[in-house]
Amino acid sequence: MMLRISDLRAAYGKAEVLHGIDLEVGLGEVVCLIGRNGVGKSSTMKSIVRDQIAVTGGEIIFDDRSLAGMRAHEVIRRGVGYVPEDRRVFASLSVLENLNVPRPVAAADRRRWTVDEVFRLFPQLHDYRHRKAGVMSGGEQQMLSIARSLLTCPKLLLLDEPHEGLAPKIAEEVVDAIVALKREGVSMIVSEQALNTIRRCADRVYVIDRGMTVWNGSVDGFYADPEITRKFLMVQ
Amino acid sequence: MTGQDLKTWRAKVARATVSWRFVVPALAVVLAINWMASTSTSTMMTEIMIMALFASSLNLLMSFGHMVSFGHAAYFGLGAYGFTLAVVRGGVPPELALAVGPLVAALGGLVFGALCVRLTQIYFAMLTLACAQITYTVLFQWYDFTGGDTGITGFMIPRFGLSEKGYATAVLAVVTLCLLALWGIVKSPLGLSIRAVGQDRYRAEALGLGARRVQLVAFVIAAFFAGVAGTLYSVLHGAAFPDYAGLGITLDGLIMVVIGGLNSFAGGIWGAIIYELLATFVSKVIHEWELVLGLILLAICLAAPAGFAGVSARLRAMLGGIR
Repeated sequence: MMLRISDLRAAYGKAEVLHGIDLEVGLGEVVCLIGRNGVGKSSTMKSIVRDQIAVTGGEIIFDDRSLAGMRAHEVIRRGVGYVPEDRRVFASLSVLENLNVPRPVAAADRRRWTVDEVFRLFPQLHDYRHRKAGVMSGGEQQMLSIARSLLTCPKLLLLDEPHEGLAPKIAEEVVDAIVALKREGVSMIVSEQALNTIRRCADRVYVIDRGMTVWNGSVDGFYADPEITRKFLMVQ
Repeated sequence: MTGQDLKTWRAKVARATVSWRFVVPALAVVLAINWMASTSTSTMMTEIMIMALFASSLNLLMSFGHMVSFGHAAYFGLGAYGFTLAVVRGGVPPELALAVGPLVAALGGLVFGALCVRLTQIYFAMLTLACAQITYTVLFQWYDFTGGDTGITGFMIPRFGLSEKGYATAVLAVVTLCLLALWGIVKSPLGLSIRAVGQDRYRAEALGLGARRVQLVAFVIAAFFAGVAGTLYSVLHGAAFPDYAGLGITLDGLIMVVIGGLNSFAGGIWGAIIYELLATFVSKVIHEWELVLGLILLAICLAAPAGFAGVSARLRAMLGGIR
């Protein structure tokens, strides 16, 4: 198992937002986290990479080692790539400079991505490589954000709402890229709302509600039970 | 090295290469003025060059690292006193002591920086101020070692006995090398890391960069070059005074960077030139020259926040458009 999370609890200041997340991701597996807005999907990802959230309980084991006490950059260097919901590109740096920020970690068991390879995955980025990232469209910024995370040479990639706020055509291109990454054998956790994406990418699904994992199973199992969608995904 | 690696390396070198079209004529102009001007003008030029280096070191923190330091003079002072005390108390030959000043400043930057980078924004700024005030107080109060408020004078012939013009030429060489080194750092992978952490430390961490470590490295580098400036200043006057580490020098540096232009490498250089020229020439016409400086600052903050470098870049773009 590449990642195992058990009874994860986390808080922003004194407000606990995760009350018991259990999650497992295997080698080369793509797991989708689904749930309504604000139930804890992004917080789960932030907890894994220690991004401005305090883990208050539970355990995160990645690659047979606990991530307890590690700082964000140490988690990343252990092999976790993270694409946040708000993309956070370095606006005043060019695309090429953004791609040169990550320090790749050389390890025998890690796929080493190069700038040329991510340009092949996202050809638009090559066309705009000298353009400032801040003036690119949301879709292009999202591609840049994913490309940049790949350059940290991750074993596991966390994608938080990868096509949130994107035009349908661009969103489809981003999903195509995720499918391409899956074919490359990249393990991923994708926080997702779009059922179409889940069908195309996911191996398994975790449903999160009010800071807890409330259901997990195969994609087929998820679609076979409409009660899950009604109970945990529809606006009530 | 594979073909791809070689290509990447060449691209990096190309990015780090300074545009000699600007540097060579600028050096020629400075040398020509120094050769033709009076000795007092040469001394003024020397001060401008030293302050340009000091402001550029502060600019590395402010424009690229987004770290506003209210205590950068501490490293200017440590450079000056590191050199002076090495000669006076350590018996080190002055020529060798030239290397001691910047190293002492860098060491100070390492110690204080490790403390300061634990915090961000205004708390970072306040910590830098506190560290500088500690440095100033030690220099001011420790009479037996630092000479206290009277400083240390008369320990060497100012400028190593060189003429004003000779020393200005020597300072031009040192400052040019230091500015080229700073430029190389800004354009290097380390510089990219400094800029990335400055823009969004959390995102930089999420890309595997240790934000604090990167900031500390930037802090030490800035302290080192401020120390070089302090050492050169101490040699110029053959003296060291606690005021070198005082708030006044820090404020001078901050004003220079803002006037010259934040987010521009040349900002520190332009700022030092404008500030020193104002201080020299306007003060001869108006006694309260700080009033003029205040008005200029006001105008820049309101109308041209990118400073002189930003205005000149805008003008160049406009002229390019006309052509």
